[in-house]
Amino acid sequence: MTDFEEPLSDEEKVRIAANFVTHAPPGEFNEVFNDVRLLLNNDNLLREGAAHAFAQYNMDQFTPVKLDGSEESVLITEHGDLGQGRYFDPRKRVSFRFDHLRKEASDPQPYEGETALRSWRDACDEALSAYVKEHYPTGVCTVYGKTVDGQQTIIACVEGHQFQPKNFWNGRCRSEWKFTISQSSAQVVGVLKIQVHYYEDGNVQLVSHKEVEESIGVTNETLTAKEFVKIIENAENDYQTAISENYQTMSDTTFKALRRQLPVTRTKIDWNKILSYKIAASCFSNFSFMLVQWAITSFNTPSGFRHAGPSS
Amino acid sequence: VRVIVRVCACDCVRVIVCVPSLCEDLLSSVDQPLKIARDKVVGKDYLLCDYNRDGDSYRCSTEYRDLYFEGGVSSVYLWDLDHGFAGVILIKKAGDGSKKIKGCWDSIHVVEVQVRAGAPLPVQTGINNVNCFYLPNLGNMDMENKIRSTLNEIYFGKTKDIVNGLRSIESLPDNQKYRQLQRELSQVLTQRQIYID
Repeated sequence: MTDFEEPLSDEEKVRIAANFVTHAPPGEFNEVFNDVRLLLNNDNLLREGAAHAFAQYNMDQFTPVKLDGSEESVLITEHGDLGQGRYFDPRKRVSFRFDHLRKEASDPQPYEGETALRSWRDACDEALSAYVKEHYPTGVCTVYGKTVDGQQTIIACVEGHQFQPKNFWNGRCRSEWKFTISQSSAQVVGVLKIQVHYYEDGNVQLVSHKEVEESIGVTNETLTAKEFVKIIENAENDYQTAISENYQTMSDTTFKALRRQLPVTRTKIDWNKILSYKIAASCFSNFSFMLVQWAITSFNTPSGFRHAGPSS
Repeated sequence: VRVIVRVCACDCVRVIVCVPSLCEDLLSSVDQPLKIARDKVVGKDYLLCDYNRDGDSYRCSTEYRDLYFEGGVSSVYLWDLDHGFAGVILIKKAGDGSKKIKGCWDSIHVVEVQVRAGAPLPVQTGINNVNCFYLPNLGNMDMENKIRSTLNEIYFGKTKDIVNGLRSIESLPDNQKYRQLQRELSQVLTQRQIYID
């Protein structure tokens, strides 16, 4: 571990700065970036050394962006990364430049993608978009048809967020679903993530993820897309229900195991009783202390001493 | 919760190695999770914090701790002031160790007792008894109950509400109308912004 006395090298400092940035809660990238910028106090170093971290953050978070003149958003993900700061929108068949700090898209160009998978991609996108409208107040989805490791694969990404910094909270959920279409039966593999940050007079984060695997029959585009979305809907409903139930369990058991709301006796401690019990037990033979004991117990209701140890 | 607590301690170190001049300010304003050390002489655990680095230590009444925490480790450190005394009461309780759930509760209570000139003093026959006299006031620790309730109802409740605001298990009602309204509102707002610019 580094000795605090030795100054840190620039590489190490910018690595730490980049690490802070990639762990910024959803909606708080700018705040963390600005703080880190102040701490590092070297803009060139930050720009050059941490540029990869800004890109990584946006791709991890499934950052949505609107292309000029479009009402719909596309997600920035690793699957749409073309390199050199360019990404593509498989629905609009367009590639564009993305500024990771300003979170803006520019310079759109036509981009065809893999035409062999187009009909499958379009069917899944249509079914998934309808599902997202039904369940996500501010959701966005992007579906890719790509050959991955030699397998023709459908990759679906869903994102929904609410940023309310004026109310001291931000939240985002993301899910990513994949299956291959090369055989008549396949496995749908999914990952669901939720992150919520509430920081009004305090600091609480919920960070949760779940992995899912379900088999799917691969028949034709329309039927398979429908089954695909049904699997997603069921899994995401189950996950959301489980999170709500966990809160109740946590409140009833874990949290209680850390610190009870009331002692097992179900009433708050009567400190005067404990005090008089303690004094009586430890100072019984000393006359002056019997005076103190008497003065205190005269204020208490005569219900006898309650044993002050934990119940078994 | 465990992840965040662990990350916080590492983050503190990371900020300090980047900007060593912030070391004192940071350590005094950010509470780190309490560390447990073992007193081999007495065979008991005690807690470490900023206040007991030069250490006179005193074991606290275990009644409060056992009733609310059913176990755990506690330590109390007291020091004299010009007109009274001050102290810090530390409590650390790790979860019940069940496999699927992990957690830790740390409390740090800092108290100051001022003894005004002329006030009737308790009969003094040693440090033990002076502390017993003040115990009802020190022991109340009402703030801890309030914090626990707040954590349970507000903080955990609020994060659950936020989750349910991100996604709806039931189909969103009238979502087509809702979407249309959203689009129209957003267009109007955009137009207004352009006008102002």
